[in-house]
Amino acid sequence: MIDAKELTYSYSKGKKNAIEQISFSVDEGEAFALLGPSGAGKSTTQGILTGLLPIQQGEATVAGTDLHHLSRSMFNKIGVSFEQSNVYGKLTALENLEFYRKLFDGSAIDPMTLLKQVGLDQVADKRADTFSKGMKHRLTFARSMINQPQIWFLDEPTTGLDPAIASQIKQIIKERKASGTTILLTTHNMVLADELSDKVGFIIDGQLKLVDTPRNLKLRYGEKLVQVEYKTEDTVKSELLSMVDEQERKRLGDIIHQYEIETMHTREATLEEIFIKVTGRGLV
Amino acid sequence: MLTRIIAVLTRDLKSGLRDAMIAYIMIVPILIAIVLKLLVPSAGANLIHVAVLESADPAFISMLEDHGRVEILADRDALVNRVSAVDDVIGLIETPQGTEMIAGGNEQEGTVEMVTAVVDLWQNRDLEIPVLVRFSDVGWELSPLAQYGTSFLIVFVSVFGGMVVMLNLVEEKQANTLAAINVSAISRLEFVVGKGLLGFILPLFHAFAILLIMGFTSIHIGMTVVVVLSIALISLIFGFVIGIYNDNSMSAVSSMKIGFIPIFGSVFGAMFLDSQWHPFLYWSPFYWAFRSIDQIILQQAVWNDMLLNSLYILLITMMVFALLYKRIKRGFA
Repeated sequence: MIDAKELTYSYSKGKKNAIEQISFSVDEGEAFALLGPSGAGKSTTQGILTGLLPIQQGEATVAGTDLHHLSRSMFNKIGVSFEQSNVYGKLTALENLEFYRKLFDGSAIDPMTLLKQVGLDQVADKRADTFSKGMKHRLTFARSMINQPQIWFLDEPTTGLDPAIASQIKQIIKERKASGTTILLTTHNMVLADELSDKVGFIIDGQLKLVDTPRNLKLRYGEKLVQVEYKTEDTVKSELLSMVDEQERKRLGDIIHQYEIETMHTREATLEEIFIKVTGRGLV
Repeated sequence: MLTRIIAVLTRDLKSGLRDAMIAYIMIVPILIAIVLKLLVPSAGANLIHVAVLESADPAFISMLEDHGRVEILADRDALVNRVSAVDDVIGLIETPQGTEMIAGGNEQEGTVEMVTAVVDLWQNRDLEIPVLVRFSDVGWELSPLAQYGTSFLIVFVSVFGGMVVMLNLVEEKQANTLAAINVSAISRLEFVVGKGLLGFILPLFHAFAILLIMGFTSIHIGMTVVVVLSIALISLIFGFVIGIYNDNSMSAVSSMKIGFIPIFGSVFGAMFLDSQWHPFLYWSPFYWAFRSIDQIILQQAVWNDMLLNSLYILLITMMVFALLYKRIKRGFA
């Protein structure tokens, strides 16, 4: 459904590339997460794939449309949820969705159904400029589903939302994924990516460093760890020890013999830890 | 295609009616026309208002009626009382010595002189004048205020359509909703047409409302539509360019105000400059628009002139568009 080959893009006429030689593909019904810190090139990549930025170098196909020959009909098949909410403040939530659905061909989801899904049905007739940041974000998210997209581009879909709403949004994404929607998720939230995606790509400084499934990455780069809390004379100490490293295994044995153990948990590496290991950089 | 164009148009209209500045722009031309209409009768108010006795010569009364309003009262006391009222009424009583004028003393400047001139006319009606006086038409068929005021107002409000389009675009820029539009199935052409329609509909609505309020009900509708649409086009292009490149409405309105300079310059130039200087105004589409509207109001317009003037406007517009095309295209991207 999405095929990107050697995409390169520069905002400064070639002086500095925002992304360089990015290649990946997303199959039908697959959820792919592009992970990276701010300024890594996630949004530029998504911008090219959604037609918001012109393709400068490389090749890309989205829903069968060659982006070098962009056709408006492609947009009937895609939905885009922006990181920064962008709705019409002087229109009500319902009017926003009613207007947007008229811009597509074919069948659309009933706006009230969508508002109910994102918990905005009670304020359907309120103007969007009276909404909180989170409510506007939910409206932007709901709007991206109105044309029942085959490919769904989600840019930081849960950023800035309270945990309950974020969980609701995640649930909607999971449901749509289960119904066969192809998803391209761009985020710096590794937990979200781990939870929602079949494949992840680590992007940093405009380069895609690695693409694989979260499970493979954990198997390949993750270490089995033990988090142990133990009591010394009057304090409680905590250590994270590798179950692979011989010295650390010995250290764990010593702790067990010498001290009173308070808690002890095995833990697998998180995507964030793997990201740092692979790229040498954090996600902030 | 039409559904999407109408969707964009109705969204802009709905949003505009909820925006204080746009609502103001939509209403203010109507208010100006009403004020102008109220001012226009005062140009025709230079008529005398006199009171005479029942016993006055009917020929005298008839002559007075040719020059203004005449009230006929029973006796001198009634006439004096009437003159004493707050409005400007001069009492006239014929006596063997001539015509006696009774004034209240609070009349507007010139009122007494005007009545004196009319009375002199009556008293000298049999005088043999040693010169021949012939009156001819000086070309003023209606109040200059109504004629020029209406023409100017119509040309001026044509900019308001572009201004509304501009403010709607600024709203899109501010809220970054253009990005959402750009990932929908609406084509660039459909969006631009939908956005631009208000820039034509509004000046047309304003122009006909102004003409109606000012009482110009017999003008040529077809010619008016052609001229208003052609002048609206250039305002629209400016509206698009300014709207695309401004992130807040105040700076956009400030930029648009610069456009008022050529409007005022060309309209006042057309009004007050001798015709030999008019070629210096030919570059301005507003000059041609003003000339056309003026001819329409005077009911002297002919299709050839109107089409030629509109052609000039369109040619100038095309040149402006060619210069700004890249900026407009870049702005939408």
